[in-house]
Amino acid sequence: MMGPGLSYDDTPPFSAPLRFFLTAPLFGVVAGLTLLFGGEILVSRWTPGALAITHLFAAGFMLQVMLGALLQVMPVVAGASMPAPLRIAGITHVAMTLGTAGLAFGLGAGAPDVLLGGAVLLVGGLFVFLSAAALGLSRGARTGNNTRTPRDLRMAFAGLVVTAALGFSLVLVLTRGLALPVALPTVVNLHAGWGWMGWAAVLLAAASWVVVPMFQITAAYPQRFTTLWAPAVTATLVLWTLAEYFAIDTARFIAIIALGLLGAGYAGTTLYLQAHSRRSKPDTPFLAFREAMYAALAGVLVLVISLWSDADWWPILAGVLILHGGFGGTITAMLYKIVPFLAWLHLTQAGIKAPNMKKLLPDTPIRRQLRVRTASLATLCLAVFVPILAPLAGIVLAVEFGWLFANLLRVVRARRDAAKAAVPRPGSHANT
Amino acid sequence: MNSISELMTHDHRDCDGIFARAEELASDGDWADAAAALKKFADALNAHFAAEESTLFPAFEQATGMTQGPTMVMRHEHQNMRDTLAALQYALDKQDADDFAGEAETLLIMMQQHNMKEESVIYPMLDSRLPGDEQERLSASVGKHLVEARAA
Repeated sequence: MMGPGLSYDDTPPFSAPLRFFLTAPLFGVVAGLTLLFGGEILVSRWTPGALAITHLFAAGFMLQVMLGALLQVMPVVAGASMPAPLRIAGITHVAMTLGTAGLAFGLGAGAPDVLLGGAVLLVGGLFVFLSAAALGLSRGARTGNNTRTPRDLRMAFAGLVVTAALGFSLVLVLTRGLALPVALPTVVNLHAGWGWMGWAAVLLAAASWVVVPMFQITAAYPQRFTTLWAPAVTATLVLWTLAEYFAIDTARFIAIIALGLLGAGYAGTTLYLQAHSRRSKPDTPFLAFREAMYAALAGVLVLVISLWSDADWWPILAGVLILHGGFGGTITAMLYKIVPFLAWLHLTQAGIKAPNMKKLLPDTPIRRQLRVRTASLATLCLAVFVPILAPLAGIVLAVEFGWLFANLLRVVRARRDAAKAAVPRPGSHANT
Repeated sequence: MNSISELMTHDHRDCDGIFARAEELASDGDWADAAAALKKFADALNAHFAAEESTLFPAFEQATGMTQGPTMVMRHEHQNMRDTLAALQYALDKQDADDFAGEAETLLIMMQQHNMKEESVIYPMLDSRLPGDEQERLSASVGKHLVEARAA
């Protein structure tokens, strides 16, 4: 019997996660271009353009990176490796890329057939990925882990399934006239809530329990907090869903506030730990992670305001702060750590002397790209109130993600150059 | 009595703290103190590796019957870290702040993903597969070894 997920054979080839990491920023660029040419998209969350941009970002950028990262880290954090990672990556990546493009185009341009086709591909791609992940997790479950990460990963996957199911039923409403037991906007809210909290936030938290203390050299998250956080989020989402179904306004209100508090609790605890890091000179991605936590806190505040105010801009502003500021920021920060490290790891495993992390990707281009990222967030927030700024925000957004793509490509080139310059040792673990 | 998981995880965090101190001193350009901190870190790291390679990994191999699996990879990663530590020492000798920062970053990530695997797979398996008295004997002797190496 081989070890539980700790053999080199369990490390998927570089190209398996890399294809997700390199495709993701391109969806960000398309989101920027949509904003540039789409007119007054940001006046309401219900404009076709706003729906298209949201999905370009959530499914095109966030989901792509998250799935790519999961392929890589499941063997490490959960002792669970997926069967045939390269084939799973290939199928999932193509299906999700085409699916997201179809979904966004269908929503933005009002093309029902494209929308339905995109949704089918997206859900199909997810099904393949989740089946493989479930198989990997069921095999890797016997190690008696001392972190909450494997359990929270399962909860995140459950959140993703609910999000996808709600999303798919919405597509059937729009394209095939499916009748829903509750009002359409309610289902949209539930779809977004499960996506943000049940999937993305639980996954981010599951990663943070491990990544923040280890890589930023902070104290551990309080044990009771990590034990309760993800189950509390999932339970609250279930209560909220029931409250919406049975139209119990008070319960609905309390559940939404509770979700906001849970989100703020995660961001606040993370900021507190980071403020006491033993690495006294935080590097640039670390600062981006902190900025993302502040953006998420602001987003929660705005979301709470939107419960009392009917103004159209609050939900949009909350969406910008949470999706672009919070999730976008943490994901960008993590990409800057993951991609150079994977390049280094695969070179080293191939028996090649690898350049150090900062030679594979120096600080300066990271810092410059992250400055554009801050400008992009600020411009997007302003554009919510001043619609005439939307095209400008679109340009900055496209530059932000184009630059991220260029920085990641730089790592790929540096790895290729190092591999070309060296002759691998015979018998080494060569992976491409 | 601490479990093997608790003991070794605690030692990982101790090593992290000394590492962070060396990194900070080097980035301040305080090369003399950075050299002392790096020496302290290297001693702690090597003691940790030695405890695993000579005591814990053989116990793991015996308890699980896996001699070519996880422990082989862990030993290989120890060697990668020793190599990166040597590169870090070389950058310190040259007083090259950029190289030092790059090698330190590489070592930190290498170290942490390695720690993650040990803390989520190797140590919990030792805790669950070894008989209680064997666990106590191992963690007492490893604990003593780590303390002595630190005091030397």
